[in-house]
Amino acid sequence: MMEEMIKINGYPTIDEIRKNNGWPSDERFAKGPVAICECVQEIPCNPCEAACPRHAIAVGEPITNTPRVDNDSCTGCGMCIACCPGLAIFVIDKTYSETMATVSFPFEYLPLPEKGDKVKAVARDGSAVCEGEIVKILDPKRNDHTPVVTVAVPKAFADDVRSIMRPGVSGDEAGFEPFVPEGYIDDDVIVCRCEEVTAGEIRKAVREYEGDSLTGIKRRVRAGMGLCQGRTCGKLVTRIIQEELGKRADEVAQGTRRPPVRPVTFGELAGKDGGEDDGK
Amino acid sequence: MMENKFDIAVIGAGAEGSATAYFAAKSGAKVILIDAGDLAEGTSSRCDGDILVSDKMPGFDCEFALASQALFPQLAKELDFDFEWRKEGTMYLMETEEETEVAEQYCRNMVACGVPMKMLTAKEVHEDEPNVADDVVSGLRCECDGGVYPIGMVYGYALTARRLGATLLLHSPVTGIEPEGGGFLIRTVKQEVRAAKVVNCCGVKAPKVGMMVGLDIPVEARQGQILVTEHTFPVVKHEFHEFGYMLTKFGNSSYKRNVSERVERNGVAMVIEPTMAGNFLIGSSRSFVGEDISSDIDVMQALAERAIRFFPVLKDIKIIHAYSGVRPFTPDHLPIISDTPVDGYYIAAGHEGDGIGLSAITGKCMAEMLVSGKSEMDISPLSYSRFIKN
Repeated sequence: MMEEMIKINGYPTIDEIRKNNGWPSDERFAKGPVAICECVQEIPCNPCEAACPRHAIAVGEPITNTPRVDNDSCTGCGMCIACCPGLAIFVIDKTYSETMATVSFPFEYLPLPEKGDKVKAVARDGSAVCEGEIVKILDPKRNDHTPVVTVAVPKAFADDVRSIMRPGVSGDEAGFEPFVPEGYIDDDVIVCRCEEVTAGEIRKAVREYEGDSLTGIKRRVRAGMGLCQGRTCGKLVTRIIQEELGKRADEVAQGTRRPPVRPVTFGELAGKDGGEDDGK
Repeated sequence: MMENKFDIAVIGAGAEGSATAYFAAKSGAKVILIDAGDLAEGTSSRCDGDILVSDKMPGFDCEFALASQALFPQLAKELDFDFEWRKEGTMYLMETEEETEVAEQYCRNMVACGVPMKMLTAKEVHEDEPNVADDVVSGLRCECDGGVYPIGMVYGYALTARRLGATLLLHSPVTGIEPEGGGFLIRTVKQEVRAAKVVNCCGVKAPKVGMMVGLDIPVEARQGQILVTEHTFPVVKHEFHEFGYMLTKFGNSSYKRNVSERVERNGVAMVIEPTMAGNFLIGSSRSFVGEDISSDIDVMQALAERAIRFFPVLKDIKIIHAYSGVRPFTPDHLPIISDTPVDGYYIAAGHEGDGIGLSAITGKCMAEMLVSGKSEMDISPLSYSRFIKN
């Protein structure tokens, strides 16, 4: 079986989309705007199904089915775009003008572009592919902070363009600023709130006790051993280890994830009557 | 470049290896402590912190544990890391008359060995700890037992050994051991090390490091799982076991507890241990599943069920974490602390669930053997030769 590119690259190929969700025919594109779901993995999710006023999107049972668009019923209204938690639905209109098509996509970054802005349009992998012009921004309350932006691009790029670079952000990278840590965390700042462990104690665990991993710090000074199991302080502890040892974040070994995901009582775990096998 | 010639190379920076490195460095030997990962990364960080005499067999097992326990108060003063030594005693809880009879006999035998144990009536048990389930029949109290923070114990040994001149070589798996000029050449991922003597303190990995010199070491992984509670009110003030713990540990009794199927199949026996931080550790389980250390929901449920049976107040207390580790099990439940047919190659491994408690006497005896050729205490029952087949 062909390796799934989404698992390797983090975005699907058009072939994967065609296979899992379908792809409108040239005839359909010629009739006007149409929605495309680019949701190729079997995840339990179906808000798109309820979002379409014409019932043109089907997930069905089981809920892990990938969504299919009935291209004859779809009018390309775009109601589905902001409803997808995975930001995986787009509306393409290849009839916008003789030479241009529009792509409507969810855009959860600030600042929002403005109508008429000239922007760099980017493909699924975030790389810039062509110039585009913003023709519409929809941000009604029902979108719940997921504005839908429409960009006009040359027709040849309509199948590839899926977003834009953030306006006003410089640099050739895909529009995202590199992470710059804020200032030095003072030694007396409590980093692990559950166990009340300070940044100074964490630094001591690195400098004097040979701690060099998230688990190593936990075992030495208890940071991450408390009620939240490091969910709150893990990033900050990682950063302190990075700063102390001159490592990248991905070079600092993270902790082992163990159950329970959230605290549960003994009664809940043991089952009914705090005892007998519950149906096993 | 780190210097690479040593008197003693200790392989394995868990409880036994770190203790051996500490006692050897203290007596002036030039020591290197080598580990594939961090200090206390294996069994020593996936265990409880019991320093028990009360779960030993009368006789040598018991004497050896008493000798180890006697060293902890001094270690608490000597070591550079606070490992939270406390001596609060333990109690076993009996749920039937039959268990009580076995416990009475056991108590007499242990008292004869000099262990301060005594039987308690149900009333005395509930006076000691009102949270114990009403229907518990009797108790068996041991005054001398204690506990530590096990990971801190290892840091204490290893970091103090470093202060006394020992070298730590961490995150450097050993890939081969070759005899060379009356000593050994030890190849590790980071560098080569030369040492006159080598000690294998690798716990469940001891067989692998034994094979490097052609020794067959009969240590097998016996998994155990533990639940950790939130910080809460003092459910118990000292450690409790159900008496059935003895049965699951030694597995040599015809007596069967009246327990659910899932408690039985997972070898679960209730242990609750308070920690200095205010959490409680809940055990115990025993199963042979290779070196798997994932947390299994069936075992977790059985642990919770059995804990509620003896301490009903736990029902509404939260579990924040679960972990699992593997005990280095030997067929006769005694560790191997010994020289071997390979001259200069020693073993201190196979402590099953007693590694933290026995670490002090293990390190002391092993260091004496390494430095002066003979340990002060007669530890011939722990000789590797008992497993050599003719």
